[in-house]
Amino acid sequence: MMSLIDRLLEKRARSAAQHASRRGLLKTLGGVLVGASAVPLLPVARADGHGGAAHPQETGSETDCDYWRYCAIDGFLCSCCGGSANTCPPGTEMSPVTWIGTCHNPADGRNYVISYNDCCGKPSCGACLCQRDEGDRPPYRPDKTNDINWCLGTSSASYHCSTAVVVGVAFEE
Amino acid sequence: MVRKSLLLAVLVGVCAQVGAADSPPPLPVEPTGVIETLPDRYPAEWFLVHDAAFFHMSDGKVYVIDASKDTVGEQVKGMFPMNLMGSYLQVASRGEIMSVETFHTRGTRGDRFDVLTIWDNANLDVVAEVELPGKKRFMGMPQRVALHALNDDRWLAIFNLSPSTSVTLVDLETRKIIGEIPIPGCSFVYASGGMAFSSVCADGRMLTVALDGDGKEKSRSFSDVFFDSDESPIFERPARVGNIAYFPAFDARVQPVAMSGNAAMPMTSWSLVGEGEENWAPAGIGLDGEDDLGRIYFLMNPEANGVDGMHNAGGAEIWVFDPEARRRVLRIPLQEWGLSFAVSRGEEPTVLVTNPVDMSVELYDGLTGEFIRKITGFGQETPLLMMSAQ
Repeated sequence: MMSLIDRLLEKRARSAAQHASRRGLLKTLGGVLVGASAVPLLPVARADGHGGAAHPQETGSETDCDYWRYCAIDGFLCSCCGGSANTCPPGTEMSPVTWIGTCHNPADGRNYVISYNDCCGKPSCGACLCQRDEGDRPPYRPDKTNDINWCLGTSSASYHCSTAVVVGVAFEE
Repeated sequence: MVRKSLLLAVLVGVCAQVGAADSPPPLPVEPTGVIETLPDRYPAEWFLVHDAAFFHMSDGKVYVIDASKDTVGEQVKGMFPMNLMGSYLQVASRGEIMSVETFHTRGTRGDRFDVLTIWDNANLDVVAEVELPGKKRFMGMPQRVALHALNDDRWLAIFNLSPSTSVTLVDLETRKIIGEIPIPGCSFVYASGGMAFSSVCADGRMLTVALDGDGKEKSRSFSDVFFDSDESPIFERPARVGNIAYFPAFDARVQPVAMSGNAAMPMTSWSLVGEGEENWAPAGIGLDGEDDLGRIYFLMNPEANGVDGMHNAGGAEIWVFDPEARRRVLRIPLQEWGLSFAVSRGEEPTVLVTNPVDMSVELYDGLTGEFIRKITGFGQETPLLMMSAQ
């Protein structure tokens, strides 16, 4: 089994690199965001709603814990489990309820709201465990916590892996 | 050479004859089906070590460990399973261990059942089950504040997060659910006198719910706002001495809150760090504790203060404080690193710490800070939370 300490200590360097401009975003969000159906309700602008690039440029590997979207993640990366950064592996079920983070995309300089939907219904994937925790808060802030099993609203509570879906560009204060 | 070999063979034969004549009688026939038992009240040196089995969560378990012993055979006293990131609480007065867990009828699929499983201390056998409806029990990284016994240990409060939040109250005498109390915007269950519980709220207040003799809500009250969950969050896991819960904060303050049945009373916060220690901050999973001497313990990370995302990373030392004097009384440097810990009960406390480097647990003297022993190879993989045995 991989050593957790290696992954934990890696965060020092990562957090220094990605710390900038995340605090203070989305402060007005209250409660828990309910999946894709709630996206239009979020105080964010959709990336494709600005008339700019429909597919913002990204760099890095989605199987790498350092990948920009994973700034607040804690779990197994679905991109190592038969899925991708924004899709679930075959035969699993994506949780409609989730927590969010705000991550800075170094490729285009924008901050994005990331929805960390879990994929459920199978045992732990076991590959590419990634813990970043940036912006994570204790479970008394369910909208910003990665410490709970988000296989909520799914037919099975069995956690398999986590995605990182871009759901919009974050407003700056 | 041949003569010497023959002589040696003769001598060996003679010795064997003499040995057979002097050997003890053969072993008696032993009974089968004998099962060990444990004392109703566990010794102070014992701990309950929760291996959450993060890589295969349906195989979670809690080991009963005697940390005072040197070998695995002496250290492991028993074990009980706890499925899918469960929560547990040993209730000494009842001689029972409460375990809230989840099953599916086909392993990881099929119908879901949430269950309060009640284990007997002595036999580590199931003595009762209470099915919990609604598929809502809190399921996440192991917590000490998801379950709480109240009304002289007659009732068990179970925290639910679905993600709306509530508390299910179970009568441990009748093994029946009394009811469910919504606590919108608030989480977890903290002791607050014998007939009330408190919860920490996202808006920076504490909720206290008082119960009547039937377990129905009698009243609820909120404290003043005392923290900002965005800018200056506290951990949800306090060290506890008497009626005062000491919540560590991300920024290395400790926030005392008095909880005695009425509205929770936030007290003046104070800093855990001194001059030259500004980069230190609490971090970890089971990151704090208390002992019977009234001291409080925090797992401290030398680089976490002000660094976003480091609050779960664990730490290099455990710091012990006299909360009355607001003074540090001991630093416990860890062998490598710590992720979670528990403090034993008694006048000579020991501290059992998860070392995430090799996922062993390590024992330290709570009075001197000295390293005592490493405990490993007992089947553990991810021992994420420990509690002192009761």
